[in-house]
Amino acid sequence: MSTSVKKRVTDIGPPHYEQFLPPVIKENYGKWKYHEVLKPGVLVHTAESGEKLYSVRAATPRLASIHSIRLFADLADEFSDGYLRYTSRNNVEFLLTDPDKIDPLIAKLGAEGYPVGGVGAAISNPVHTQGWIHCHSAASDASGVVKALMDELCDYFTGQKLPAKLRLAFACCLNMCGAVHCSDIAVLGVHRRVPKINHETIRTQCEIPTTVSACPTGAIRPTSVNGKQSVEVVEEQCMFCANCYTVCPSMTLNDPEMDGVSIWVGGKVSNARHEPMFSKLAIPYLPNNPPRWPEVVDAVKHLVEIYAANARRYERMGEWIERIGWPKFFEMTDLEFTKYHIDDFSHAGLSFRTSLHFRHQ
Amino acid sequence: MSQKERKTPLVDELEKGPWPSFVKEIKSVDNPKAKDLLGVLERSYQDKIGHWKHGGLVGVMGYGGGVIGRYNDLPDEYPNVAEFHTLRVNQPSGWFYTSDVLRKLCDIWEEHGSGITNMHGSTGDIIFLGCSTEELEPTFAALTELGFDLGGSGSCMRTPSCCAGMARCEWACYDTMGLTHDLTMEYQDELHRPPFPYKFKFKMAGCPNDCVASVARADLSIIGTWRDEIQIDQEAVREYANSSELNVLEDVVERCPTGCMRYNGQLEIDDENCVKCMHCINVMPKALAPGKERGATILIGSKAPIIGGALLSSVLVPFLEMEPPYEDLKELIEAIWDLWAEHGKNRERVGEFIQRVGLGNFCDEIGLDVAPEMVIQPRTNPYIFYEMDTADY
Amino acid sequence: MSQEVGVEEVAEAMFDLVKQTHGKKNLKPMDLIKAMIQKFGDDRCSKPLCKKAIRELIDGGRCIYSYIGGSYVTLPPEE
Repeated sequence: MSTSVKKRVTDIGPPHYEQFLPPVIKENYGKWKYHEVLKPGVLVHTAESGEKLYSVRAATPRLASIHSIRLFADLADEFSDGYLRYTSRNNVEFLLTDPDKIDPLIAKLGAEGYPVGGVGAAISNPVHTQGWIHCHSAASDASGVVKALMDELCDYFTGQKLPAKLRLAFACCLNMCGAVHCSDIAVLGVHRRVPKINHETIRTQCEIPTTVSACPTGAIRPTSVNGKQSVEVVEEQCMFCANCYTVCPSMTLNDPEMDGVSIWVGGKVSNARHEPMFSKLAIPYLPNNPPRWPEVVDAVKHLVEIYAANARRYERMGEWIERIGWPKFFEMTDLEFTKYHIDDFSHAGLSFRTSLHFRHQ
Repeated sequence: MSQKERKTPLVDELEKGPWPSFVKEIKSVDNPKAKDLLGVLERSYQDKIGHWKHGGLVGVMGYGGGVIGRYNDLPDEYPNVAEFHTLRVNQPSGWFYTSDVLRKLCDIWEEHGSGITNMHGSTGDIIFLGCSTEELEPTFAALTELGFDLGGSGSCMRTPSCCAGMARCEWACYDTMGLTHDLTMEYQDELHRPPFPYKFKFKMAGCPNDCVASVARADLSIIGTWRDEIQIDQEAVREYANSSELNVLEDVVERCPTGCMRYNGQLEIDDENCVKCMHCINVMPKALAPGKERGATILIGSKAPIIGGALLSSVLVPFLEMEPPYEDLKELIEAIWDLWAEHGKNRERVGEFIQRVGLGNFCDEIGLDVAPEMVIQPRTNPYIFYEMDTADY
Repeated sequence: MSQEVGVEEVAEAMFDLVKQTHGKKNLKPMDLIKAMIQKFGDDRCSKPLCKKAIRELIDGGRCIYSYIGGSYVTLPPEE
């Protein structure tokens, strides 16, 4: 290695994408005519010029080691002239110009443990957060739950067995570092215990006014404990959002027995047919049960199967539920409708029914 | 310190099964950091609790974004992950790579860190997971030498990201990758030095399918659209009609949300009533395409629940042409930033700021004319803040 | 017309403010900018000037950016 002192540079920004584009893309940039799904996980894009680009999409676990990235680099060299990309849902895509290389690539990816799929009427790779791998506010693990779920749902990734695409997402707390609030099925980590306040460290770790104002319900009040400045929490006003913990490390919510996940359904971001919509609460709480989270896996699988059996072609989860009505959804899924399903935060009233437009079950 | 091989039976269970295993990924890296990471995770699976702490004081020199400090709460037992910071490395637009550049990134991360990454993080960055404090600067130096830089964190502009756009999609109504790169370069200062009350995210989607979830995840959502007629190839429509895979009446015409289509051997679209939902184009990509007069709708304000509840973005500019150098867009962005940076409360996202001050007032202040496309309907409550000094009313 | 304040003078005044409020209130860059414009007057001090001053403090190591739910300009941690 060179020992000369290099000038420190900053603010150079990311490298320009153009240097990473394969020639077929450079030549046909903005001039694509149409695309087709050749088989699960394989897209072909045809340009106005007639040139074709084949994309082979494989799942990755998002948490990727340099070992697997180097493997993908080797596969790209062997099959796609060294060109590849990642999708917004953590899939890797090899960009081929030779259709004869598609099947050998799929075989090799399969042998290495990376299934090909996630295109069209399928479950694509779930987006997820860090969980217990790396996050301070996680109420559950992310990679583990997703792995347990997808081991059971893998056929929905590699096949085309659903009425429409199904977007599955996981976030390990209400911060939601992922679009889980607009997913067909979202699994969301939840705390259910008021913050435990460390009155010894709070004065040095936290700024009291910021901590007080962080609470969306005004449940935190300044107080003094043994003559020292601290805060107290009005327990009945706390909805365990962990906002206070984000600004004040001395207010921990993590709890082995009380933490777990909730399940939300019927969100989407695309404008196709129905407007984008939020996911709605289906199951308020399921426990953390590592390493396989059987309660969560069973619940999600159940939802997927009922949706798959009953929705019409092209109908997303939320569109299907709107068509049949929420009472019918709870009946068909055999899920209990509880008081937790009724919103009681800001603008809650907007979700109350003001008509007689419902079906008697 | 010699490292005992730890038993990790709970996480080992997740090596099995058909889905790619993150446990195998961690085990594929043969270094002490990865071993301790696996040990900590096993501990979490036993305890049902995380073992990571906040850490807000680390970074590379001069930047207030790009590094997330993280410390383990059991440093004596897992000393190799006692400091386990994240580096957010700004991805190239569209996440396109060559094998060569990926290998070079791996070499850097093998030399300086844990060898574990996320490809990619939720905002779009390449995530280098697990850097010690003293390795932050050397890693940064190696990255800049390769031509990479850090992305955003904290109260910064966050790393903009986008769909593949014109690189590989016939529906891209503007150059998402071009705009993403342009804004990222233009606003390097805002990306690296936190100037705002809280984070500010951009996501560029090429069409109303919104493959990057822009409407749900971006303070400013720039979603491609068109305002003339859908392009129709009638011969190709008939081919779909004659195939077994599609029933044009049932699967296309009857699914149109505004009922603006008819088919009788010839497809007719009443484009004035088309709401650009994309369904018909999605299911007949060989026959239909977005119109030729293309641009984007600019929407503002989406966010996850923290603090005041989740929001979707709402329409700010119904249609804007999207051509470099994007002067109108940048003027709009800077007007929004100036207002929100000065008047936004600490940790108040721009969407919450608008909820507080009112969209009408917000538009007034940034000098934008209001339009009926911004709302589902006009107000129904009569609590109007009439302004006495406005001569117009 | 009054003359613009020097970057170093603004940086110095900002640094004093950060020291004064240390441990009591965390300041965002915009809090510093507003305080400086109030102190020196908007004819002698501007947002771009303040940004330069903040950069001076950070690059020179007198202050650092910290993050506790939001980003602040604070004194470096004591060793």
